[in-house]
Amino acid sequence: MATTACFIIVSRNDIPIYEAEVGSAAKREDAAQLHQFILHAALDIVQDLAWTTSAMFLKSIDRFNDLVVSVYVTAGHILYIFN
Amino acid sequence: MTNYLAQFQTIKNACDHLVIAVEDVNDLWPTLKSRFEERLPFKKGFLNNKTRNSVFVENLHAEFILTTDARLRSRYPQEQYLFWFREPYATVVLVTCEDLDEFKNILKPRLKLIVQNDEKEWFIVFVSRAHPSNDQATKMAKKVYSKIEVDFNSRRRERCCKLDLHGTEPKFWEDLESKIMECIRNTLDRRVQFYEDEIRKLSEQRFMPVWNFCNFFILKESLAFMFEMANLHEDALREYDELELCYQETVNVTGKRREFGGLDHGDDQAALLNPGDKLLTQIVQDDSFREFEFRQYLFACQAKLLFKLNRPFEVASRGYPFIINFSKALALRENILPFCMREVWVITACLALINETSSRYRDGPVVPDTEKEFCRLQGDLYSLCRIKFMRLACLIGYGTDIEKSPVNSASLSMLPWPKPAVWPSVPPDASTEVLAKEKMILQATPRIKHFGIQRKPLPLEPAVLVREANRRRASLSGGNMYEILDGSPNFNDGSGSDASSKMSPSNKVQPTSMSRTNSSPGFEGSIDRPMRLAEIYVAAEHALKHTISNPELWKTLSSREELEQKYLELTKGAAENYHQSWWKRHGVVLDGEIAAVCFQRGNFDLAAKSYEKVCALYAGEGWQDLLAEVLPNLAECQKMLNDQAGYLSSCVRLLSLDKGLFSTKERQAFQSEVVSLAHSEMKNTVPLDVSSLITFSGNAGPPLELCDGDPGTLSVTLWSGFPDDITLDSLSLTLMATYNADEGGKALRSSSATVLKPGKNTITFALPPQKPGSYVLGVLTGRIGHLSFRSHSFSKVGPADSDDFMSYEKPTRPILKVFNPRPLVDLAAAVSSGLLINEAQWIGVIARPINYSLKGAVLHIDTGPGLQTEESHVIEMESYNNESESSAEMENHGHADLDSSLAMNKYFKQLCLLDGKIDFPDWASDVTSILWIPVRATEDRLARGSSSVAPQKQSIVDGMRTIALRLEFGVSHNQIFERTIALHFTDPFHVSTRVADKCNDGSMLLQVTLHSQVKASLTIYDAWLDLQDGFVHTGQGDGRPTSGFFPLVISPNSRAGLLFSIGLGKTTAEDETEAIKSDSILSIRYGISGDRNSGAHPPVAMKSNGIESVGEGLIFRSALVLQRPVLDPCIAVGFLPLPSDCLRVGQLVAMQWRVERLKDFEENEVPKNNDEVLYEVSANSENWMVAGRKRGHVCLSTKQGSRIVISILCLPLAAGYVRPPQLMLPDIDEANISNSPAGPHLVCVLPPALSSSYCIPA
Repeated sequence: MATTACFIIVSRNDIPIYEAEVGSAAKREDAAQLHQFILHAALDIVQDLAWTTSAMFLKSIDRFNDLVVSVYVTAGHILYIFN
Repeated sequence: MTNYLAQFQTIKNACDHLVIAVEDVNDLWPTLKSRFEERLPFKKGFLNNKTRNSVFVENLHAEFILTTDARLRSRYPQEQYLFWFREPYATVVLVTCEDLDEFKNILKPRLKLIVQNDEKEWFIVFVSRAHPSNDQATKMAKKVYSKIEVDFNSRRRERCCKLDLHGTEPKFWEDLESKIMECIRNTLDRRVQFYEDEIRKLSEQRFMPVWNFCNFFILKESLAFMFEMANLHEDALREYDELELCYQETVNVTGKRREFGGLDHGDDQAALLNPGDKLLTQIVQDDSFREFEFRQYLFACQAKLLFKLNRPFEVASRGYPFIINFSKALALRENILPFCMREVWVITACLALINETSSRYRDGPVVPDTEKEFCRLQGDLYSLCRIKFMRLACLIGYGTDIEKSPVNSASLSMLPWPKPAVWPSVPPDASTEVLAKEKMILQATPRIKHFGIQRKPLPLEPAVLVREANRRRASLSGGNMYEILDGSPNFNDGSGSDASSKMSPSNKVQPTSMSRTNSSPGFEGSIDRPMRLAEIYVAAEHALKHTISNPELWKTLSSREELEQKYLELTKGAAENYHQSWWKRHGVVLDGEIAAVCFQRGNFDLAAKSYEKVCALYAGEGWQDLLAEVLPNLAECQKMLNDQAGYLSSCVRLLSLDKGLFSTKERQAFQSEVVSLAHSEMKNTVPLDVSSLITFSGNAGPPLELCDGDPGTLSVTLWSGFPDDITLDSLSLTLMATYNADEGGKALRSSSATVLKPGKNTITFALPPQKPGSYVLGVLTGRIGHLSFRSHSFSKVGPADSDDFMSYEKPTRPILKVFNPRPLVDLAAAVSSGLLINEAQWIGVIARPINYSLKGAVLHIDTGPGLQTEESHVIEMESYNNESESSAEMENHGHADLDSSLAMNKYFKQLCLLDGKIDFPDWASDVTSILWIPVRATEDRLARGSSSVAPQKQSIVDGMRTIALRLEFGVSHNQIFERTIALHFTDPFHVSTRVADKCNDGSMLLQVTLHSQVKASLTIYDAWLDLQDGFVHTGQGDGRPTSGFFPLVISPNSRAGLLFSIGLGKTTAEDETEAIKSDSILSIRYGISGDRNSGAHPPVAMKSNGIESVGEGLIFRSALVLQRPVLDPCIAVGFLPLPSDCLRVGQLVAMQWRVERLKDFEENEVPKNNDEVLYEVSANSENWMVAGRKRGHVCLSTKQGSRIVISILCLPLAAGYVRPPQLMLPDIDEANISNSPAGPHLVCVLPPALSSSYCIPA
């Protein structure tokens, strides 16, 4: 699990527009669902955090046991989320 | 120093406020005590904090204690130092004295003794007992007091104040308070300095072996405690924070293995808010404290101070990470701690923190931003608590009740099982419980998803519990042999374990590694047999019961109902708080969990509402994977609630999700639900938005272009997201005009049932004529059974492959363009003038299509008055090739070889006129063609010639005829073009005459000039003149010109002349018999050779018979008027001159005529009353008013030369040059009247003279 990562680009109205699962480890069957759920929930945190800092890379904003969510926010408020 | 810990603890517990010592020199205290204590606690004051900044403190608690009190006396000096914080902060010296000598001798030395101790902060209160009425005593008291002031006040500091026992001295108390405060401040400063020095000293020894954390702790906490007593909570908090850091360092750095703690009964209940949970002496260990208790203690102290500072938010915000960190610390010691200690501790810690902070928070001030954050923290705490609670529930077998939703799965599936050193084993007398659990496992049927969705439930377990538990069992842990699952019958000792194995989650993983036999020694006996799931549950339950000391908490885990209740409470708490903190996603997700519980309880209404929220969130943000998980649940609720509209809409939404999210079978199930419901007994038609499922777009390429008024066929691409073919009972599509958004779209219907295949479909709609403009597709509506659906979106989610992919089409792209009305065809006459009248003539009608097909066109012909079509003749139609036009077309089309192609495509057809209609042949649909219609213009009147005497007033209107044409064309004859063509018909000649010469013999030469009126050459074969009465041909001719000149050819628009010799003659007897001819008739036999393309041409009928033979047969007749000259005037009428001054409007004038008889009337011409002459004055009534008799007889003798003057009064009515009245003699032939002198043609009439009478005053 630790070696897989999920990368999602979220548009400014919170719609996922690109999604990729990367990594070599065998995927869990529910990985997509799990990742989506975690990343979606992380949007709550992003919405609070994005306005408090001028930095674009928000580093790890959320942890879900082994999964760490990192976010890069562009100027146009498009998010790149990794976990 | 460690020895002092117990003492320190006691002291700390005993005193929680500052102490002020009272040195009662003169036994005044008993009387003053109550008045002093009234001042407590001190309302306000300023103290210095650790950084020597002045801090405002309120409600400072303190206690006055006499120095003689036991509490202050019996202390060893060392003790005093160590626990200096409890020593008095100020010393009040109460004195009184009424005598100066006494003061000098006794009191002063005593006071000096008291205050000589530098350590003390003191001041003197002089109490005057003198009564105000007793002047002497008062005076003395004043004296003594001033003496005291002199002796004890220093320059820098006043140390005295005076209290009048009998007087009212409000200033005294203020003074006292400020002095006390000053003392406290000074003492505090000194003590802080002392503690700080001590702490520094100790800190420097930190890395030495003698270092003892307990000593450090006592000093540090003493300082903190002192600050706390002085209400300097901030500083106290800082001390605790430093203490915590220091402790962390101690714990981490020193490699000593210490006991962790947490093994006592009741330790499972978090004491993170209860500093007095355990005595410090209990938790001390060597030179430090046990981590488990001490960290909680420190946090509790911090929390206490934060609550005092009214900062519950900070408690929560520090508490959450504390719980997380502490939980990690617990995890490290899981093997020594009781089973599930960590989970239980977290649950109790969270609940304690939630309860305490929220209750305190509600009392405190609320800042919006903090409130949000606070709620978020509460939500986090609830959520954490909820997860741990679920984990416990799973462990004791209630996992099946927990909804396998993404949130639960994400939380639990990555959270490892507890890792006790040894997994608890089944207690010996628990067989009934095991049975009960097994029964429960059996009964628990996994919830079957609606629509038969086969989906592997999301896991709630990080690993298979059976395996995990057995692995950790003491007897089996050695070889890790029992990676075994209970699928193998070898291990089943009956009693329903088969069934349990089937139902247990472990059966997901097939026992692939089961080949190992189990015959190794030491495995016999029930203790060595791997535990079954039910046994694990029971064992865990017993172990938990042992761990959990709080009966309330145990109760929540004891039964399914209680568990569900607690679960719901925690979930609701988390959801509400997340909602309040605007973490809507977290909140809504938990709403979904609440919905799941509601659903299980059969409360479908609430469940549906919550599920709707979740679906709306996921759908709104387009997270389809997550939506796919929840939407079936919502659909199921809606079905239960019989909410057909909602259910249908959910089905449609399910269908419109990504194809990959559901299998084809499931999608087919959705569709069949929709279809069956649509055709079932629904009361009302249900509207349904299928925008996401059925999308439409126009075909690629340019929009369909139509001319105004034309119907058409519109082809539209429909994309069906249904997995199977679906039959639409009806379908209609609205077109929206882009020019006018207000106007509702026009619906195009396709009433017959349409079957939509999955994917791309092309549907054609019949398009009735539309208004000009461009149109876009609007809304697609239709019906499936009772279901009326509606879609208004273009395809967004097209399938990926290029064929079916419909681009993101902007709705503004027009699908249809209807052009503004424009001429589509032109009808014109090829030749419109100079056609022969009274003859059958071809008229050419040029039909020119203007970029529009005339296929199937019908021409209606309606001739106007005086014009008939020759119905007996066929109508000819041929393609028309006009030079100029063809060249223009060539330019347009750029076809160099157009001429030749046109020449090749020369068409010709004969058509029949049926009911005034002609059908166009097909070839005429797109080429300009000409129709030759045979018509005949009739004219009854004879042409009249003109003469030089009487110039002919020939009107062109006489020959005008009209023909109305109506062309119906277009796809359904919807286009109509109407035109009325004016045609001018004419005689071939215009004849004018003049007398060329009067011969001496009385004959005249009459010149007849023939003007050709047509654009065709005329050939005259013969001409003759039938003379009127009174004229005869002279000579022997029969009135014909010399025949040798014939045939005479007259070119178009040229003239020819004929000469006739005629004379005046009497009527012959022959002539008498005929009717009296008033006109002479000129007859001309002629032929015509002309082209119908340019004008007059041989008549139609002749053409068919042959031009040569019949061309001569045309006869033209023209009447000529020959007038006899006035040869014998009988009467002369003369106009007498008018008066010399001009005529004016409104002025009467006498018009006078002289009538004179020139000769006798001939007998036959004389009327009976030959001496009377009839006259008549004719005048234009607009210009003249005749004042006399207009008509009458005047007497005129028949004798030659008789004359008479006729005078008529006239009144001019209009100014200008007007024609004067004329005198006529109706009885007498004009030929016999000679006008001499002739009257004027025009007379001048002036406007009326200006009347000045109105302007000049009388």
